[in-house]
Amino acid sequence: MNVIWGNLPVILGGLALTIQYAVVAIILMVVIGLIAALMRLSKLAPMRWIASAYVEIFRSTPLLVQLFFIVLGLPAILPVNQWFGQLMYPILSAALTLSLNEGAYVTEIIRAGILGVDRGQKEAALSIGMTDFQTMRYVVLPQAFKRMIPPLVNQAAQTVKDTSLLAPVGVAELVYKGEIVIAATFASFTIWSLVAALYFVIIFSVSKCSAYLERRLQVDKR
Amino acid sequence: MISVKNLRKSFGHHEILKGINNHVEEREVVVVIGPSGSGKSTFLRCLNGLEVVTSGEIEIVGMKLTDPTTDIHKLRQHVGMVFQQFNLFKHLTILENITLGPRKVKKQAVAEANEIARELLAKVGLPGKEQRYPDELSGGQQQRVAIARALAMKPDVMLFDEPTSALDPEMVGEVLQVMKNLASEGMTMVVVTHEMGFAREVGHRVLFMDEGYIVEEGKPSDLFTNPQMERTKSFLAKVL
Repeated sequence: MNVIWGNLPVILGGLALTIQYAVVAIILMVVIGLIAALMRLSKLAPMRWIASAYVEIFRSTPLLVQLFFIVLGLPAILPVNQWFGQLMYPILSAALTLSLNEGAYVTEIIRAGILGVDRGQKEAALSIGMTDFQTMRYVVLPQAFKRMIPPLVNQAAQTVKDTSLLAPVGVAELVYKGEIVIAATFASFTIWSLVAALYFVIIFSVSKCSAYLERRLQVDKR
Repeated sequence: MISVKNLRKSFGHHEILKGINNHVEEREVVVVIGPSGSGKSTFLRCLNGLEVVTSGEIEIVGMKLTDPTTDIHKLRQHVGMVFQQFNLFKHLTILENITLGPRKVKKQAVAEANEIARELLAKVGLPGKEQRYPDELSGGQQQRVAIARALAMKPDVMLFDEPTSALDPEMVGEVLQVMKNLASEGMTMVVVTHEMGFAREVGHRVLFMDEGYIVEEGKPSDLFTNPQMERTKSFLAKVL
């Protein structure tokens, strides 16, 4: 117990960083996923190619390798540290790489959601003179969004877990801080239990929020 | 109001419309009948550009639909459409369904759009349903809302694609009644339907389509009682 209390500030500091990276990545992954999904459904072939290439590349390589490549590999060939700052580049690139990786999965979730909306809805919107953009914005996406909530929440939970892969590239998040504490105290079992419990609390609350959200949308907007 | 010249439409190698020519006058009610697969729905959907024509010319509400420089969205504001499956926006209330087009496309003020929507709901016999969702209404009610939604754009022409085919029999009458009222107000209408009674009573002209052609056309009184073509006779013998 003393091990926990004594090192709690350090661990919670790591937790704070985990949450910050997760929040940023979850917001960005939805933005990126939406843009890439719309590109994948575009009438213009080059748009579709770019988006497909992005999705395939990020889905077909491990996140850890992507992080090593972008956070540690790119500075070896490009002066990115000068462009973004020696301290800023690792932070920005780690957050962005995580977002891009999760965004590739979100792209497919959003694409499937859009395709799942009955074609008649789109035709009805077009028939009253709406543009393709208005049809998407006011009719298709709101309906697609509802069916996307469960897989999106799933992906958000995955994103929280994936932040643990930021430790090897030097982000001092929860796992990183856990390792530091263990190196000093040798309390391996206790600290890993604490770390696991903290992840559980965060992800479990995220899931509960979504169940609530789903129920609400189900009740008044069928 | 509508002028169609040598309209052809293929899906892949399959030609659905094989050269349609027709002219619809202002205030005219044209009813399109024919067996399923005859191309009548495709013909109707070409009239507001939901299907892209393969060749031929369509002029509607004074705009050339088949001219690539025509603003198709502008054109559709003047051409209302009612679908077999109603296609009400499931996530919106009845009021929002009707006002979405006027607000977003015509940039009408909310209060004005709501007022017009309420008048239209009363007109189609559904006052007080403003805050309901489509799922809470019967098929016949949904279809009447769909008509109100189309009318809210103040179209010059209304296209009806088998508007009663997805309805339980006891709800067909209420929808046809709304359409009948609309016709008597002088709305230009093109109606694809299997309701021969409606065609007879309300139609000014009936087109019989089969296998991608308009086989025969004429006044309902003539076409139903004295069809000239063999195919028309055999079709009418089955449905009348």
